[in-house]
Amino acid sequence: MKKLTKIVVLAAALSLFVAACSSSSDDTTTTTEASGGDGGLTGSLLISGSSTVEPVSALNAEAWRAIHPEVGVTVEGPGTGDGFAKFCAGETDISDASRAIKEEEAADCEANGIEFIELLFAIDGLSVLTSTNNDAVSCVSFSDLYALLGPESTGFTSWSDADGLAGELDGTNAPYPDADLVVTAPGEESGTYDSFVEIVLEDIADERGQDAATRPDYTASANDNVIIEGISGSDTSLGWVGYAFFLANQDKVSALEVDGGDGCVGPTPETIADGTYPIARPLFIYVNKAKAEESEALVSYVDYYLSDEGLNSVDQAGYVRLADYGPVREVWETRTTGAADL
Amino acid sequence: MTTSITRRQEATQADVAKAIQRSGIQWRSTLFHAGLLLLLLTTLVILLVLLADIMIKAWPTFAERGVSFVTDGLSLNPETAGVFTGIMGSIAIAVIVILLAFPIGVSSAIYLEEYAPDTRLSRFLDTTVRNLAGVPSIVYGLLGGSTDGKNVIAAGITMSALVLPIVIITASEAIRAVPDSIREAGYGVGATKWEVVRSHVMPSALPGILTGTVLTLARAIGETAPLLVIGVATGYFAPPGDATFVDQITGSYTALPVIVFSWSRQTQAEFADTLAPAAIIVLLVVLFVLNGAAIWLRNKTENRW
Amino acid sequence: MTQQLTLEDLAGDAKRRNRERRVKVLFVAAGLVSIAVSILIILSLAGEAWSFISQVDLSSLWTVGWFPRRGLYDIPTLIIATTIIAGIGMLVAIPLGLGAAAYLAEYASPRARRWLKPTVEILAGIPSVVLGFWALTFISPEVVARIFSSAKPFTMMAAGLGVGVLITPLVATVSEDAMKAVPMSLREASYGLGADRAVTVRKVVFPAALSGIVASMILALSRAIGETMIVFMAAGAVGGALRTFNPLDPGQTMTAAIAALATGSDQVAGQGLTFQSLFFVGLLLFLITLALNSLSNRFVRKYREQY
Repeated sequence: MKKLTKIVVLAAALSLFVAACSSSSDDTTTTTEASGGDGGLTGSLLISGSSTVEPVSALNAEAWRAIHPEVGVTVEGPGTGDGFAKFCAGETDISDASRAIKEEEAADCEANGIEFIELLFAIDGLSVLTSTNNDAVSCVSFSDLYALLGPESTGFTSWSDADGLAGELDGTNAPYPDADLVVTAPGEESGTYDSFVEIVLEDIADERGQDAATRPDYTASANDNVIIEGISGSDTSLGWVGYAFFLANQDKVSALEVDGGDGCVGPTPETIADGTYPIARPLFIYVNKAKAEESEALVSYVDYYLSDEGLNSVDQAGYVRLADYGPVREVWETRTTGAADL
Repeated sequence: MTTSITRRQEATQADVAKAIQRSGIQWRSTLFHAGLLLLLLTTLVILLVLLADIMIKAWPTFAERGVSFVTDGLSLNPETAGVFTGIMGSIAIAVIVILLAFPIGVSSAIYLEEYAPDTRLSRFLDTTVRNLAGVPSIVYGLLGGSTDGKNVIAAGITMSALVLPIVIITASEAIRAVPDSIREAGYGVGATKWEVVRSHVMPSALPGILTGTVLTLARAIGETAPLLVIGVATGYFAPPGDATFVDQITGSYTALPVIVFSWSRQTQAEFADTLAPAAIIVLLVVLFVLNGAAIWLRNKTENRW
Repeated sequence: MTQQLTLEDLAGDAKRRNRERRVKVLFVAAGLVSIAVSILIILSLAGEAWSFISQVDLSSLWTVGWFPRRGLYDIPTLIIATTIIAGIGMLVAIPLGLGAAAYLAEYASPRARRWLKPTVEILAGIPSVVLGFWALTFISPEVVARIFSSAKPFTMMAAGLGVGVLITPLVATVSEDAMKAVPMSLREASYGLGADRAVTVRKVVFPAALSGIVASMILALSRAIGETMIVFMAAGAVGGALRTFNPLDPGQTMTAAIAALATGSDQVAGQGLTFQSLFFVGLLLFLITLALNSLSNRFVRKYREQY
């Protein structure tokens, strides 16, 4: 009896272990077996940076790797700043970014002898949303958004609570309707939050000696679908999400026109691409030039990224294509280094 | 017995006398019985609703994708996203836990139960183990996160530390359940302590230890929070075709429960609606198999003396 | 004729004794690993926690809410949310768990018990990430939103109910063990006095198993406080939360705050003491659960010694 148990137990333990080992070696064999592609490229690519850009890079990596199955690819999205820190230390091949590289980051790269090629490949528009039932407001200025969502609006529960604050600012649409102000938007940990603060609130906040941040008292969510639910759930709601989510939910929410100083403009692919819609941010990939000279795989991946096929991922991830890809392809073909803005 | 128990017995007598005189006793007793049954059934119904809800949501994925859902890797494309990479990561973590937590935990249990004299050190050790067992998993994540590796090794070591106290406690219980007569038989024929432990105590305690270990493994496979703190891939990665074993275990990884978490907040609706539930089903199948094995082992070895 | 036995012979041969010593050293070393892990935990938490508490502007510990990325470290927000969620969890788990335990221990036939107990144990084996997903996608829209129309998609209520489901089997199994440990003689004495089963359970078994039952509750409370994923997913997986006492609002517990900080994007993180605050909260959590576990162990020891 005892001997039997012992054998059973040992067999169980052994099979568990063998199963574990054999399946991890399965992993290797499947990847090798799949190498029927015509790529012939090897090596591995490490892509890090913005979590906003991560979906595009990941979709492209997956599609591209179907042609070049021998190449290893890792795409991470810790954030633009973290991404540049790694990139400028020479750890990554490509850095995804939802803003242009900052001067101190570029200096860091230079100090480490890292030359980069800056490739602007898409634009992300942020839509300011309200319920489809809200017909009292159709256009908001940056000042309106500051009065309703900025750091000084903490505690406002009705749109009209912001009237006094709006009086101190220029170019507002105050007085506002006396209706519940229900705010649903991304939380502080998200890149979308960051962009909204940077583009819309920061300048006014700086002028008034306030922190560049939103009011803390709103419903925050990491899931854009939940934000859409929240905005459609109240007739007098306010919030913002990436343009893609507005597009997918036009039946539930409506986008307000935004006045960035040059009149009211609604978000459309055209206005976002040509820069007339004021709340938009550029999406970049930064390629390490020296690594691109060494690695055929890296060149092939970036080629794919900027090809018509690769740009399908931009649509799929919900961002807006540039009007003309000629210049950026030119920058890549000539391997032009440096940042356009610095 | 203590005096407080005596007092309770007196109260019971008075109660009983009162109860007998009342005619309502029958239905009150039935009501109590029914109430308890209702509470138990509520618990079971919650379990049923949970499983049914997840299965219904997961069904479209399995119907459309079939086996390919299990053999496809991590992806942000809902049509090709699968759990294979997660299964591999979870297995790798489990193997590390078996290699680390199991031997260290069982050795600690043997020390505590067979060797340790009742000294301050052994009592301190015992208390430490019990307290460690109650430390929230995310705290272990902070511990693992302060090392710099975002790979499966760091994850496996952290999970080993997390389950170590549980391995020790279950193994101790299994060893304690071995009757002293078994040990005395060993000493009687001149065996040393280690010989008694190795050839008398361990064979008898092994099924119990193994039951505990399998359950522990289930715990390690289901844990998510520490991995999030240590750092785990949720986007896309694939090892190069010529990756060595070392490359693989020091590279990016993900695990089944992490996939459930990251898909639940992915913005494309398919991920939360049906892919995450399908990943949950795969995770639960793995865990049920482990739990089933543990229950089978326990039933097979219960009441042996 | 007869060989003289020396003390040396009785001690056995030296090789065997050496092996014996080596094996023992190995076991002691293994035992010390646990102590090492404890020390590592405390060291890794305490260092950063100290740099947080010694540098933080004390007024930022008492503000409108927990917004570590903008330097507002309102610890009460986390404590209140933790209390609310653990409290709701206990309100669910105590009646369900105790009822299930009493039925299994006192009423169920051995055959029924053989099926019912493993089923309860299955519930215990469900990972918290699964319950978190379920709390978010089922409990929140199908239960909470139906009862309270004002509820938001993320509520502490939904998280609390999810935590309740998580800890119910813990209360049930530990309490059932305690009730099973009550000697049959006590029950027989009660029946002998004419008491029926219901009275026996309430007036004899319950009081006798009380220390075990209390231990199960403290364990469950400690587990509820330490639970991360359910709260993180169902009570709003974001970087901050306002201080609120309303269970229908989103909230941030100590555990979820750590997870949220660790999984967010970097762009606003890393300001000032954000990173250190994570370890301070971790230390707080460690100390609270440590206290609860020591308490529960004391109760467990009591009922073990009793019979």
